[in-house]
Amino acid sequence: MTIPATWEPLTDEDPVLTIAQDLFTTMIDGEPGHLYAWTGEPPVLEDPSYAWVDVSGPVETRVMLVTGRTTGEHLTRALLAMDESDVVSDADFADAIGEMANVVGGNVKSLVTNPGALSIPVVTHREPDMSHDVCLLETYFGWRGAPLGVSLWAITRKHGL
Amino acid sequence: MKALVVDDSRVIRKIVSRILAPMGFEAIEAENGEAALEQLEAHGDMALCCIDWNMPVMSGLDLVVAIRKNAEWRDITLMMITAEGEQDQIVRALAAGAHEYVIKPFTPEVIFDKLQFLGLVKAKETA
Repeated sequence: MTIPATWEPLTDEDPVLTIAQDLFTTMIDGEPGHLYAWTGEPPVLEDPSYAWVDVSGPVETRVMLVTGRTTGEHLTRALLAMDESDVVSDADFADAIGEMANVVGGNVKSLVTNPGALSIPVVTHREPDMSHDVCLLETYFGWRGAPLGVSLWAITRKHGL
Repeated sequence: MKALVVDDSRVIRKIVSRILAPMGFEAIEAENGEAALEQLEAHGDMALCCIDWNMPVMSGLDLVVAIRKNAEWRDITLMMITAEGEQDQIVRALAAGAHEYVIKPFTPEVIFDKLQFLGLVKAKETA
């Protein structure tokens, strides 16, 4: 399949890292320097959860975030200014990582020309079937030593979750 | 002053409410545009609405249009707070009647500066 030129700048991980760093600096850490590009082999995420938003348009595109449960709980506590000892509910966990996917997806969308509408975030514990879709970018970041992944997909076939 | 925080994300509602509290706002929350209209009917003295764009049931843009159609709500300041950052969307929101537009991610300082510009909060005193 031919990838539309409008998405080409985003097949480089740098703009996505910049967007993610902005999110973490402003709303999670309160200061820069805690999110960085992951180097080496792609990490194995423990008990992963997947959060994504879709962008409609000539090619439907998906921006997906994946994080392990423990890292996601730390992120949720940071977003909500919770204490480290506070228990993170499933609802807050899903809401937090869904909103992170929403912010990254919205800012990714704003970098391309003629994008369509942004969907409501979807969060699942089960990896969505993307076997018929085209991965435009898959990258991992490190946050305070823990990995989390961001991927960008051109969806070529509608599928269920 | 009362502020209505409209976002389908409970996390964002909590964050925005927490930012507004020290500025003197009593935050009321709604999870979509339709719920926001119900809250506006119930509270006649709302000074500010912070509105997300993408929400189920009724979008933020539709909410702005609905609020602007009601003369009783003409004094409410409307501020979009959304991940939608394209220029044409900002123009659409402002044309529909929003006063300000904040793109996520945001800091408390950004919210404060916008509200200060709109005259809803006073400048911080410096020593």
